[in-house]
Amino acid sequence: MKISFYLNGKQTDVDVPPDRKFVNVLREDLGITGAKEGCGAGECGSCTILVDGRACLSCLMAAVQLQGRQVTTIEGLAAGGTLHPVQEAFIEYGAVQCGFCTPGVILAAVHLLNQNPDPTREQIRVGLSGNLCRCSGYVKIVDAVEAAARKMREGKPR
Amino acid sequence: MSIKMLEAGYPTPRFDAMAKVTGEEKYAVDHTREDILWAGAKRSGIAHGIIRGIDLSEARALKGVYAVLTRNDVAGTNRQGIVHKDQPVLAGSKVRHCGDPVALVLAEDRDTLKKALSLIEVDFEPLHGVFDPEEALKPEAPLVHEAGNLLQKAVVRVGNTIEAFNECDSVVEDSFEVPGQEHAFIETENGLAWLEPDGGIVMIVSTQAPFRDRFEIAHALGIEVDAIRIIAPYLGGGFGGKDGATVQCLLALAALHAGGRPVKMCWDREESFIAGYKRHPVRMWYRLGSMRDGTLHALQCRLIYDTGAYAHLGVEVMALGMEHAGGPYRIPNTLIEGWCVYTNNPISGAMRGFGVCQTSFGIERMMDLLASKLGMSRLDIRLKNALLRGDRNCAGVTLVHSTGIVPCLETLGRHCLWSESGKWKAAAGPFKRRGVGIAAVSNAMGYGRGLPDSAIARVELTREGKIRVYGGVADMGQGNASAFIQMAGQILRQDASRMEIVQPDTSRTHPSGSSSAGRTTYTYGNALILACKELKDKLLHRAALMLMLDEARGLTLIPGKVRHLPSGREVPLDLLGRTFPETDRIAVKQFIMPVAQDDVDTGKEFKIGFPHVFFSFAAHLACVEVDELTGKIDVKGYLAVTEGGRVLNPTGFEQQVHGAVAQGLGYGLMEEVLLDHGRILNPNFTGYIIPTSLDVPEVASICVETVEATGPFGMKGIGEVGTNAPLPAIAGAVEDAVGRRLRRSPLTAASILRATASGCGVDG
Amino acid sequence: MRKVFLPGSLEELWRCFEERPQSTVYAGGTDLLVGTYNGVLNPETLICLDRIEELKGVGDLGDSVRIGSCTTHTELLEEPLVQHHLPVLWWAITQIGSPLVRNMGTIGGNICTASPAGDTLPPLYIMKAEVELISKGGVRLMPIGDFITGPRATRLHGAEILTAVWVKKPVEYNLSHFEKVGLRNALACSVVSMAALLRLASDGLVEKAALAWGSVGPTIVTCCEAEEALIGGKLTAARLGEAAAIVRKAVNPISDIRADADYRRTVAGNLLLRLTVAH
Repeated sequence: MKISFYLNGKQTDVDVPPDRKFVNVLREDLGITGAKEGCGAGECGSCTILVDGRACLSCLMAAVQLQGRQVTTIEGLAAGGTLHPVQEAFIEYGAVQCGFCTPGVILAAVHLLNQNPDPTREQIRVGLSGNLCRCSGYVKIVDAVEAAARKMREGKPR
Repeated sequence: MSIKMLEAGYPTPRFDAMAKVTGEEKYAVDHTREDILWAGAKRSGIAHGIIRGIDLSEARALKGVYAVLTRNDVAGTNRQGIVHKDQPVLAGSKVRHCGDPVALVLAEDRDTLKKALSLIEVDFEPLHGVFDPEEALKPEAPLVHEAGNLLQKAVVRVGNTIEAFNECDSVVEDSFEVPGQEHAFIETENGLAWLEPDGGIVMIVSTQAPFRDRFEIAHALGIEVDAIRIIAPYLGGGFGGKDGATVQCLLALAALHAGGRPVKMCWDREESFIAGYKRHPVRMWYRLGSMRDGTLHALQCRLIYDTGAYAHLGVEVMALGMEHAGGPYRIPNTLIEGWCVYTNNPISGAMRGFGVCQTSFGIERMMDLLASKLGMSRLDIRLKNALLRGDRNCAGVTLVHSTGIVPCLETLGRHCLWSESGKWKAAAGPFKRRGVGIAAVSNAMGYGRGLPDSAIARVELTREGKIRVYGGVADMGQGNASAFIQMAGQILRQDASRMEIVQPDTSRTHPSGSSSAGRTTYTYGNALILACKELKDKLLHRAALMLMLDEARGLTLIPGKVRHLPSGREVPLDLLGRTFPETDRIAVKQFIMPVAQDDVDTGKEFKIGFPHVFFSFAAHLACVEVDELTGKIDVKGYLAVTEGGRVLNPTGFEQQVHGAVAQGLGYGLMEEVLLDHGRILNPNFTGYIIPTSLDVPEVASICVETVEATGPFGMKGIGEVGTNAPLPAIAGAVEDAVGRRLRRSPLTAASILRATASGCGVDG
Repeated sequence: MRKVFLPGSLEELWRCFEERPQSTVYAGGTDLLVGTYNGVLNPETLICLDRIEELKGVGDLGDSVRIGSCTTHTELLEEPLVQHHLPVLWWAITQIGSPLVRNMGTIGGNICTASPAGDTLPPLYIMKAEVELISKGGVRLMPIGDFITGPRATRLHGAEILTAVWVKKPVEYNLSHFEKVGLRNALACSVVSMAALLRLASDGLVEKAALAWGSVGPTIVTCCEAEEALIGGKLTAARLGEAAAIVRKAVNPISDIRADADYRRTVAGNLLLRLTVAH
């Protein structure tokens, strides 16, 4: 079945079974490997993508559900080669260790900050509570998101 | 971001962070090739049985199935294993755990693969299984392996405990039990393999031991070691679970039978649980004796390690656990006995904290028990007995290298979380009870005696004038690649933009051992320092040639150039790179970690992995709040004080500490591989839960610096020590809060409610 | 090949059902697709309701609130009507899964999945919510307690969907409380939960009480006897303790990998004591 959607701003067509798990459409049919599959049950968040700006679990979406939607993956976050403040902060604040959870966490954080530009550390933790990280203990991830929020509020040039 | 120079000791961003935050970095699981086949193993599904026959006819007939292989297709020994080669690649005659593979399917796509696996019928003659290590030691127990269920019995002893216990003023005794823990790396076990035209195998695999993998594959499948090339990209987590062949032998077998097509194998989360390795479940009995003033005098313990169906690194795990059974304390008389036992449970193997996580729980709870009996503060009793440089540890080894447990404990004692704990506890709200607990731990670094802890570093000036490090050890997230860049950058005075690193590739980089044992930054780092110094010397001399200097003096490396300081003349590095042949632009150096020189007349059963001589240390404090209505434990605050020599990268140091605390916290509060006659009841992330961002508190991390004179820039590895303290610290805090001693982990809400309801002091 | 319909309206939906009467319906997929993708379930045809706008949104109808079944949990959390008028439901929704699950999962899904651990259910039971069921043939309204008949079992007919849940604003109460007990603080299946609505007089005497527990029986457990035991007295530990003892006899929990029945029974009663500090 032909499914048409916007991938990181670009119109994209795929011809796949309508029930094909969307994370597989990204990773295998389109070669976009930033989103990962860690558990296949929505419990780890490593498959997180933005769909019309909302952070969603691509391992629990059938391909047809993306028809006409705006899909943002980690590959599409840096606009014109400039890193998003969350990406920059993750580098600067040591929020990346093995990095496998990182794309999902960053996208969940982007969604959080778009909804709440001035979150407390507790609110950041709530916002990222669907993304498991086995390496970091989350502390530096919270540091990074807090710093990115501050930078975005101050409107510093990207 | 402005370019900063790479300086040892300075907080430095991860070299690989950019590629990871953009999604560019390709892990093993992200690799693919044209025309791949998917390989998958049929797992036994029963814990113990004899294979009478396998019906593959329906599977073979399914459209899209390329081949189905069995033990008969394995040309070699069909045995894999790191030390003990007791694990079949494909089970031929019997299965010993639910995850034992009995057939290997190659199919065009994953749906067909799944269907084919479901069509394979195995005719088993079920055997009685044994699922308790103490039961397994009984003479009438079913035999997991013909040679018997006892893989190894060992004794570590110093002094004379019989006399010593009689001399003690105070003796305490207790038993503890800890279950299996899952690594739960987010990237599961996987790889991609294909045959080259010359018949050699190339494999991209998520592995902690690319060089050793070749030997495991070669021995198992009967092929030449040098016909196997292993490439080890950054791992999406390892923690010990990818040390030793996981997919490797099966994948290589598949590649050999794929008609030249590349083959991919990727375990889904459930298969990762069922077939992957786990932390050893252990049962412990401790007896600890001291003088009236708290000086420890005698320790006796019995430790039973359930190694599951195959050995993996069971003996070595137990050895390390036994070596640490006395904690970071001076105990002049010890008798530590260990049994490493086969059962039909899932395979236990290496996991961060490698046997020490378990015994740390035992000894630290005993210290609290003793403190309570003597009316001493829990901090004072630890300080009183904490090892100093020059002391012997509980295995009789003299601590000749940096030993920082005392400053760790002193730092903890000065911290407000300890000094104001009374005030904090008193402020508990309705239905809440608060407590504070501490733990002092250590963890050895390196392989210990019996095995060379060696690395070979290669560093090159490229034609483009960049410095390229050829990494020999896998980076599973601990950040060793970044550490190497930082070291090389420091010595060769280049910033990160001029540095490159090649992740381990058995065709391009050099054997440097596994990414394990807290050893990689130390051992490979030391080799790298030697190589960088040699390269620097070479480059300065070549630059002197190019500048026609009559002596190679007054020259220095600066970013992108060599500068002759007296004249100010410079040679760009890319010019040097283009002028000299490759063989003149590289340096290759080996380093071997020093070993203990004490000839301790104990632990003779351990041919490798005992004893060790380098240790990192830590003292942790946990503030917990227990809810009286639900029993739920919330960790409200946490302090980790860690000593690992000098700190190369404070950010990297803290990353390791935070991560270790989180894994230890999961181990202590919520993680348990639940088994029913060898079958895992929770083989997924719904039933097996690890901490989320709402479960790990703010962790304060303080580092105490000593100088490890033998270490690269004075450092030691600290990757593991932090996992050993959370469970005992939290258990101590819980006891402080509710007056009940829990002896089993995880410390669940239900166990707290049971213990507080029962009215007696202990959990059943 | 499994067909997946994506109807844009109820009319299209009925046509899908005509073509494939045995279709399995979902909205967010956070429950159904887990089982479908791991092979435990094998629905022949799927219908995703995500594009039917009339199934979304929250309406204020004076004394009631009408919640579209395909409104996501996140949308409900952001909806002032829910936060203001139905706080006990709002609190429960904050405890569901994770933000990612809440962005996709819907209240209709939570109700139709009918898990005894469904977090929205205890609040909906004590507010005596009614479910609106529509098929091509017409509309049915049913109290939620009748709609859910057992674990994962409802009175939904074939070719019928849950379109909305009607909740009367609980104006007769002045205290609302919800607590979920899980094995960790997010992504946790409820081990025991309790929702409570009370009316306290100015002197603190309980005049009215509505209580419900989750994860302690095949369906949500309500207990009139416990409610009555509270009425006429203050919320003291002693009175709540008496009510707790009654509740422990009323619940029928199972033992599973998360918790054993004893724990659930004990805690179901204990949670009442939290009411001493709820206000």
